[in-house]
Amino acid sequence: MTPVAVMVGANRIVPAAGIIHPLGNAELSPDDEKALRRRIVEQALQALRTEVAKPTVFSSA
Amino acid sequence: MRLELRWFEVRELTVAPATALAGAPARLTGGRLEVDLEALRAQLSTDPRLAGVRLDAVHPGERVRIGRVFDVIAPRAKLDGGVDFPGVLGPIAKAGHGRTAAIAGVAVVATDQQSDQVAGALAVIDMAGPNAELSRFGRTHNLVISAWPAAGTARSEYLAAVRLAALKAGVVLAQAARDAEPARTEVFELPPSPRVPAELAHLPRVAYVFQIHSHQRPTGVDEGILYGDPIRRMLPTIVHPNEVLDGGVVRGFMGRNATTWAIQHHPIIRSLYARHGRTLWFAGVVVTVAHATEPERVRSAFLTAGLVAHTLGADGAILTKIGGGAPHVDMAQAAAHCEALGVKTTVIVEDMSTDGSAEGMILFDFPGVDAMVNVGGGQELLAFPAMERVIGADDLAPKLSGEMRATYGTLCGAIEQIGATTMMAEVR
Amino acid sequence: MPERLRVVCYVNQFFGQIGGEEKAGVEPLSRDGAVGAARAVQQALGDAGTVVATVICGDNYAAEQSDRALAAMVALVAAAKPDLVVAGPAFLAGRYGVACGALCAAVQAQLTVPAVTGMHAENPGVDLYRRSVYIVQTGAEATRMLPEAQRLVALGLKLARGEKIGAPAAEGYFARGVTRNVVTETTAAERATAMLLDKLAGRPFASEVPRPSFASVPAPRLVKTLEGATIALVTDGGLVPKGNPDGIEALNATRYGAYSIEGKDALDAAQYENPHRGYDTTWVKQDPHRLVPVDVARELEQRGAIGKLHETVYSTVGVATTLAQSARMGAEIAEKLRAAGVDAVILTST
Repeated sequence: MTPVAVMVGANRIVPAAGIIHPLGNAELSPDDEKALRRRIVEQALQALRTEVAKPTVFSSA
Repeated sequence: MRLELRWFEVRELTVAPATALAGAPARLTGGRLEVDLEALRAQLSTDPRLAGVRLDAVHPGERVRIGRVFDVIAPRAKLDGGVDFPGVLGPIAKAGHGRTAAIAGVAVVATDQQSDQVAGALAVIDMAGPNAELSRFGRTHNLVISAWPAAGTARSEYLAAVRLAALKAGVVLAQAARDAEPARTEVFELPPSPRVPAELAHLPRVAYVFQIHSHQRPTGVDEGILYGDPIRRMLPTIVHPNEVLDGGVVRGFMGRNATTWAIQHHPIIRSLYARHGRTLWFAGVVVTVAHATEPERVRSAFLTAGLVAHTLGADGAILTKIGGGAPHVDMAQAAAHCEALGVKTTVIVEDMSTDGSAEGMILFDFPGVDAMVNVGGGQELLAFPAMERVIGADDLAPKLSGEMRATYGTLCGAIEQIGATTMMAEVR
Repeated sequence: MPERLRVVCYVNQFFGQIGGEEKAGVEPLSRDGAVGAARAVQQALGDAGTVVATVICGDNYAAEQSDRALAAMVALVAAAKPDLVVAGPAFLAGRYGVACGALCAAVQAQLTVPAVTGMHAENPGVDLYRRSVYIVQTGAEATRMLPEAQRLVALGLKLARGEKIGAPAAEGYFARGVTRNVVTETTAAERATAMLLDKLAGRPFASEVPRPSFASVPAPRLVKTLEGATIALVTDGGLVPKGNPDGIEALNATRYGAYSIEGKDALDAAQYENPHRGYDTTWVKQDPHRLVPVDVARELEQRGAIGKLHETVYSTVGVATTLAQSARMGAEIAEKLRAAGVDAVILTST
């Protein structure tokens, strides 16, 4: 939950796909679901190489 | 819209033999409600999802512990051809208007014979001792329903059947009051939100935002919550407060510190009604769900705030949550959007701490969301004295009848997240 | 009449009348009866109790040899068999305040004897010990010793007699930051309506929940390029091997597990389960990658987008977990990851 992550001071935050399946979505086809997961992980890698000074949300949009 | 609750005070609940009631399953005489348990049991047993049904009547002062409590229902029955619990028990129809018979002093307690015993999932009611004072349901005469699933019945179907049996039983009990004169009549009448008489236009307009489910556990197909709808994709919706009081909303199957009984007596709606036209103008109710994904949560928060601020034109709003941690944040995010639109908010939270530390009480910190009332901490430990009998949990009787320590959340009715209770976690 | 309570006082070298700063190195010692400032405590006690011993320790010794000083003082206190320990008051004296807090906490925990102390709001002992010790708020200086001692004694007597302790404001102690369920006069719904009307009218209102405050954690910079970095996967979403070998709790967890993914390009759903009770785990059990993205991370490793995927996944259950346990488990996991040469972590949460 993004607001909780911000509140507790997590520094690099990537919104994922939901509480019951943060890195997936059962309603998508297996290929699309994996592509979604890849996008989130790549977003996380992008966040890791970005310097931040305070809790920062990296939105995928 | 005008709703009349016709209240009947029951001081005595007795089990009557079938022949005594001339064919009716229940009879009300003065403050005495007589129930033909066998006839009622036969009526509830017709559901093919249930393999067996047992009914027990228990009374305040008896050294009884009710185990495996799933939900508690207040006995209500629509009069003049109205529909009881539309969409769940009866056909879909508008709730919240006309006359409803309401019995005080009696509750229907549904038990869940499948609930697993892992900490936090098992709820009990004590009919005597100190914990009977802490829960309203320790002070009512309770009709306890124990029902077992028929072979092949899925979990969600079983819970739907149990809940339906409890709603039915509540209606049967209240129907006994159909032709009697009520002890008192309570009228709930609220005009369409914009129609404020000029002399009352100065009153602050207050809305209530009622979160009715959390999709951290998605609802089952049979898990009707709003007029029978499992509200899987529900966007924030305005309802008339009377619809909530009169069976339009029932609790889902996830029962953390929330009962249908509390919804039927909704304490915030009643509190706002009590002050309506005096110190505030009750602007209306928005029902919402807590979502499992970020876009849904943000969208819901925006839309909720929009309805409160722009459609209901509220100056202030009270928000409540249901379920655990995620809905807690969901509610606060909606409150933050209200504040951003200039609507002052008060939220009711549960103390979320599991070790009694004030730092762990809440999971959010949003600008403006600074007025918080709490309903106590469900995780604090409470002593349960030994009881003589256990009802509703035959299999657990040896364990449940003894002295035990369990959480406040284990005592059904000690904490109601919608604010019906007087418990509070005090910071010391 | 209840029996007179046996009370032990703790004071520093100054309030114990041994000397000033030049005597701050004095080791713990015990004197019979009430000595120095402890006489004010005796006066405040009146017939309710007797100061049977006064334990004295130099401020520097207490600060510099804190473990030894504490052990010695606890032994001296124990020898006097008290029903109650009154430490200080320490006012604004920092070393003294910290020692008072430490002694009270130790006496409560090791001897199960109730203890009370007093100090000024800015004494560092307040922040360190108010969670575990009743600290009465006092002035900055010892100008009014008797009334301050009376307030310590009043609270101390309640503690010693097992009487109900009121709210911090009523009893004059610093809020300990602990919560206790109490039954109030009105329902939460009524209180919420009243609070909202106050807020709307611009009247003061008292929120029943303190706003949380979390210390900020400096964000480390990834010093290597991703192509040369070792990345670990950690989750609080509860994925564990079948059988939950570490017995990770379904809620309020105190344990975490370390699970090897060596030689695995993907996770086989049949080999995992999930005890987490905070969300419906159906979908994660169907496909564990919905929580721990080993499949995608392995591809990134093979493609060279990251240097290496760490072969151990850490997992715990994050629901109703206390802050203290979360912080401990986080620190332990971080330490292990650092020791294993991990450069960065992707933590997936539900």
